[in-house]
Amino acid sequence: MLTNTRYFGTIDLDESKILTFPQGIMGFEDYKRWTLLYDKDTRKDGSISWLQSLDESSLALPVVSPYSLIEQYAPIVNEELLKDLGPFKEEDLLVLLALTVPKDVKQTTANMKAPFLINPNTARGIQIIVENENYPVHFRVYEVIQRMRGGR
Amino acid sequence: MLALSRKANESIVIGNDIEVTVLEIKNDQVKLGIKAPKHVSIYREEIYMQIQQANKEAVAGEALKIDSLENLFDENR
Repeated sequence: MLTNTRYFGTIDLDESKILTFPQGIMGFEDYKRWTLLYDKDTRKDGSISWLQSLDESSLALPVVSPYSLIEQYAPIVNEELLKDLGPFKEEDLLVLLALTVPKDVKQTTANMKAPFLINPNTARGIQIIVENENYPVHFRVYEVIQRMRGGR
Repeated sequence: MLALSRKANESIVIGNDIEVTVLEIKNDQVKLGIKAPKHVSIYREEIYMQIQQANKEAVAGEALKIDSLENLFDENR
């Protein structure tokens, strides 16, 4: 299916790549159909992807795997809230954090408090607020990346 | 908005399966107890609004900026 995207123009998207978020995402509750787009063909694990709305082409959020930022990301969630994902195995779930990238890239933050969870088996997704008290909505990533580089 | 006056230990019922009870009133703080089915998510308003706001800011990110951030990630490898 042909679809317009914010950063990649019009693309031909395989319908199997359509992700349904039954509750939408927070702030965009009415937008239920999304897909994940990658920036490069030579994409490496841990680089940035885009959660692109298929209902409104101007809506796209940069997302990143939490494990590329912190080794131990262990969200605590109420299992009842995962029903929208359909049946899943925990190890199959895709976990992604939204990145907020302001003018000054150094101020970039990742939302640890409200990850996106995607079940590839059902192509359904949710955004959920985790119960971990110490997970911030705005987790500064620049310093983390610097530290990782320094630690090499 | 519907406004109801309740005293401590009084409740209101929403629909047929949600009950909100005023547990304690102390100075300027009210402690609420909420009985709801497990699938109903309950959040403090400010955290929900923070996340709505964060998503809106994420949408406003510029691709160019993200490229430079992505380079940082890649240099890491």
